[in-house]
Amino acid sequence: MPDTLKSLGGPGANSGATTLGSLKTMDLMVNGQPVTREVAAHISLLDFLRDDLKLKGAKECCAVGECGACTVLVDGEPVNACLLLAVEGQGKSIETIEGVSKGAQLSTVQHSFLKCGGVQCGFCIPGMVMSAEALHRAMPEAGEVQVREALSGNLCRCGGYNRMFDAMRDAAGQKVQCHTTAPITGATVGADISRLGGVERVNGSQEFLADLDIAGMAHLKLVTLDVGRAQIKRIDTSKAHAVPGVIDVVTAADLPQPVARFGPAYQDRPIIAVGETRYHGEPVAAVVAESKDIAAYAAGLVEVEHVALPAVTSIDAALAQGAPLVQPVELRPDDPLAGSNVLKELNFGWGDVDGAAADLVVEKTYTFPMVTHFAIEPHGFIVDAQEDRMKIWSPVQHPFLLQKIMAGLFDLPLGAVQVIAPDPGGGFGGKQMPKFEPLVAVVSRRIGRPVRLVLTLEETFQAVRRAGARIHVRSGFSKDGDLLFHDIQSDYLIGAYVDIAERVTTKGNYLACGPYRVPNARIRARPVLSHTTPSCAYRGFGTPQVNWAVEGQINEAARQLGIDGLEIRLRNVADKGQEIVRGEVPADGHWLQAVQRAADMLGWDTTKPAGRGRGIAVGIKAGATTGLSNAMVRLLADGSILVFAGTSDMGQGARTIFAQIAADALGAPYDRVSLIMGDTDVVPFDLQTSASRSTVFMGTAITRACEDIHAQVIELACDTLGIPETEIRIEGGVIVLPDRREPIFDFVQKSLGSWNGELIGNGRMRKPNVAEHPLGGSPAFFEFNCTAFEVEVDRDTGEVMIHKHVTVGDVGKALNPLHVEMQDEGAAIMGLGHSLYEQILMDDAGRIRNLGAIDYRIVTSKDMPVRLSTGMIENEDGPGPKGSKGVSEGAILCTAPALGAAVADAIGVVITDLPMTPERIWRAIQEQTLG
Amino acid sequence: MKPFDFIMPGSLSEAYTVWEELGPAARLLAGGTDLTVALRHGHLATDVVIDLKGIAELKPDIEDDAGWLRVSAGTTMTTLCRYLSERALLPALQEAARVVGSIQIRNRATLAGNVCNASPAADTVPVLAALGAEVEICGPEGTRRTLITAFIEGNRQIDLQRGEIVTAVLIPKPQGRHGCAFDRITRRRGVDLATANLCCNIDDKGAVLFGLGAVSPRPLVLTDESGVMGDPKANHEDRAKAIQVMAAKARPISDVRASADYRSAMLCIMADRACKTAHARRAGGMDA
Repeated sequence: MPDTLKSLGGPGANSGATTLGSLKTMDLMVNGQPVTREVAAHISLLDFLRDDLKLKGAKECCAVGECGACTVLVDGEPVNACLLLAVEGQGKSIETIEGVSKGAQLSTVQHSFLKCGGVQCGFCIPGMVMSAEALHRAMPEAGEVQVREALSGNLCRCGGYNRMFDAMRDAAGQKVQCHTTAPITGATVGADISRLGGVERVNGSQEFLADLDIAGMAHLKLVTLDVGRAQIKRIDTSKAHAVPGVIDVVTAADLPQPVARFGPAYQDRPIIAVGETRYHGEPVAAVVAESKDIAAYAAGLVEVEHVALPAVTSIDAALAQGAPLVQPVELRPDDPLAGSNVLKELNFGWGDVDGAAADLVVEKTYTFPMVTHFAIEPHGFIVDAQEDRMKIWSPVQHPFLLQKIMAGLFDLPLGAVQVIAPDPGGGFGGKQMPKFEPLVAVVSRRIGRPVRLVLTLEETFQAVRRAGARIHVRSGFSKDGDLLFHDIQSDYLIGAYVDIAERVTTKGNYLACGPYRVPNARIRARPVLSHTTPSCAYRGFGTPQVNWAVEGQINEAARQLGIDGLEIRLRNVADKGQEIVRGEVPADGHWLQAVQRAADMLGWDTTKPAGRGRGIAVGIKAGATTGLSNAMVRLLADGSILVFAGTSDMGQGARTIFAQIAADALGAPYDRVSLIMGDTDVVPFDLQTSASRSTVFMGTAITRACEDIHAQVIELACDTLGIPETEIRIEGGVIVLPDRREPIFDFVQKSLGSWNGELIGNGRMRKPNVAEHPLGGSPAFFEFNCTAFEVEVDRDTGEVMIHKHVTVGDVGKALNPLHVEMQDEGAAIMGLGHSLYEQILMDDAGRIRNLGAIDYRIVTSKDMPVRLSTGMIENEDGPGPKGSKGVSEGAILCTAPALGAAVADAIGVVITDLPMTPERIWRAIQEQTLG
Repeated sequence: MKPFDFIMPGSLSEAYTVWEELGPAARLLAGGTDLTVALRHGHLATDVVIDLKGIAELKPDIEDDAGWLRVSAGTTMTTLCRYLSERALLPALQEAARVVGSIQIRNRATLAGNVCNASPAADTVPVLAALGAEVEICGPEGTRRTLITAFIEGNRQIDLQRGEIVTAVLIPKPQGRHGCAFDRITRRRGVDLATANLCCNIDDKGAVLFGLGAVSPRPLVLTDESGVMGDPKANHEDRAKAIQVMAAKARPISDVRASADYRSAMLCIMADRACKTAHARRAGGMDA
């Protein structure tokens, strides 16, 4: 807790007031208890429950009744607590997630959610459980149609729907194929072990960033303009200052000059807009107040005199002759491209593209939309910034990177900057890099109090997105279908500040040719700056865009050559040991096995039902190329195990996997392992949680930390039993002594007492930087995926009905198969989103037209394929523990091209622009009919 | 959100007295699924919210009286769906009410609110319009009834005078052999606002009416003057022609959900499909 509530007044000195509006008294029942409170009329039931009653199980995401994260029962019926005024609760009986379980005793539905793997990041789960509870109570035997309907008002971005359908079947007493097993000590790896932290997620007690109450905390609200790009002429904060409860209003003029800029690779993003906004939603001022309600109200009173400036929001506009420069030349010193909006010109390739003689040349242009992460947890930050130290709470994927950037910005030693990273409620790449932590810190320092900023979903959309892309490809093939060359020109539309977008473009395009043996390749890729939200990392990291194009080429060639989509891939996809990128590490898995498995699971060889189409595609993504992960494992005298890891568990289940690894390595029951994560003062350095690296990097570090303990256990045995070291060895989690074998867990309980202490193991995995490598090093592994579809298309409306969706990954070894499936399905469903619905639409003024949950469509329970299934190839050939590889991104790489091929197969039209909305497919059908 | 005061009158007369006194400074609250969002986003601002849910006369209630269903202003979509489904009444209205938002939304949103919100994309409005439904309005001057097609004057504009409150939606129950069906186009299968929606109603004489949504600022009711649509055996070309003639009267716009020409094309598709369903219902003698 921060220490003090130093100067309650601070600048502005308008403190004291903590509420706005006149209060009404109301009486209601909450979870069976009578409650009498005063509340202002404009306060939502959700805010009342969370802020006044401290019932933080119900979450806020969209605030428009679309996401269901705030679902509670009012008189037994599920409602969106964000859409009710608290005063409408008068006389009502409210049940929240806190009322569903009786202490640790979970309800049937909660138990089934856990058992069937319905829980990932957990942010949507309290609301989801309330909807599921309401259905289960009203109709315990509900079938899938009712389940899909009942859950369709609750969005899960981790894509847990399939598991939730299972959970509801389980709750209904039906037999369910896939669910968690009881852990067998010593052999949890490879088993479907229940999620660590799962109970807290189903009963609503998991604390996410927005659930934290830090003593003395004030609340920040951003002031933004309803225009893409503008020159700021004058900011009048007087009306906002006058609102009781407002502590301070900050603009660029109030900050130390020149206003500092920051970023992970380019230090180009100002803490707050200076003179000009460069994208819709870039903050020009911030209001800090005693309550978030006051701050939000007062922010609306800040008057910003501004002049709209021409904004470039498309690749064409950004590249046009005379286009306004997104970043002024002075921001890009010594950069030969500074006179343009092109950030970099990246060139890769091998062989001789121009000399390759092809029987068939396919040439097409493909586009991929800007999409946003839409984690159900909107971004949030709390900073307690003192003069000489700083404490930051942020659900960040890279706590140590945040620590480094903040220490640099505020000129503090690393040791004086503590980052506490509560588990993110979904990250998907959007929570990697600092966003508003510096601004919150500046304000905190000014007012001498901890300051909290929790973004709305709209503000979150304006903060993070994936780069849109336009990719032109020429590809050559022999008449037999051998791939001879790709000539690729990729333009990625990045935002106004670079964030990590240059690396996204680099990493995605370095592997642009995909998992194929390609004799000749030329890849030219450009990240192009624009007046849009800075694009950042996003599941797949630059690959889904280019893979949409390149796999589209393979599909087109197959059609033109009359070759089956499966056959052309079996013919050209690299198998283990074969080269993909010239000079790079070769294929690290039996990828053709995955292709064949996907085809078999779909029933590729079976007769296609009338009116349906099938499609298949493949993709690879480069795993992490460099970096350091440290772990510490403490084996306590009673056998308890504490694992310290800097990984962020954002739903991928890192905590569970790590506990499995440590439990098995030390022969301990799974439930004796605790994970300590997300606090830079406590856990050793880990570079980051990204690129599906944690199982491989941190998993290896933990394995090595356990091996460090093994050495000490042998020493302990020598010491306490008087046996020479040569006669003792460790096998798995067991100590093998001359006369017996004993789990380490049991052995230390008997022996460690004499040492009066504990055993501490340290381990690390480091992959060094290779300066001359385009990626800074070869990928530690590739994520390979093959996806196949069977679909039906309504020719009248353009609507797609997915009957089968199959995804198969080359995972090395599934340390927890259920978790692998959950990750794989999540990636697949997210892929369906950008394939079918998702796109950020801009107007001419550079504004996002579909800001928020109402007009930005993601997959709901009712949009799920009739059948979605996951397969995995396990040859234990990865670099991670037990031969594992990373698995979280594979299934998003080739969703769109596989679906596009299936649509083309069904109705004969080829779509090259995503998303394949009903209208877009309908239009293509019209053109086909006319043409 | 800008703070406001909150009044919860217990009777209708109390309500319109205060509502008349406050005029534009106040807003009426029923289910709140639209109003709360508009207030939070600043699309609307108000000094006072008058919650209608305490008014005895407006409590959730559906009466079946003299050929009319009277749906009180406090009746939610969930209650309406349950009532209609249990009695196998007005399948088109069920179809429309069942797709208004999610279960959570339908547990709050009212039929009267859906009408008064006057969104061109409202799902129940084309059905109500095609059926010739009316709203019952009480005010200081007494009670009046008006057709929904007249009541909704434009996008978010209704014919409600100072002090007036919509107390019920009145739906004539179709008589004799008839059929009615609803269809909509959305961007995804899950909860979504309609890109376009439509209701086809065929009366006992075989006359065909279409109620169209999301293709003009106010509900559009079109009569098939060709007589073709009333003939279930009419050939495809004649039907297509008749539908084209009607669709030409729509004035769809291009927006974030769809282009105008997609909307126009979907009108034709929906008209054809809904008409077939309506004929089937009519032939089946189902109470529609």
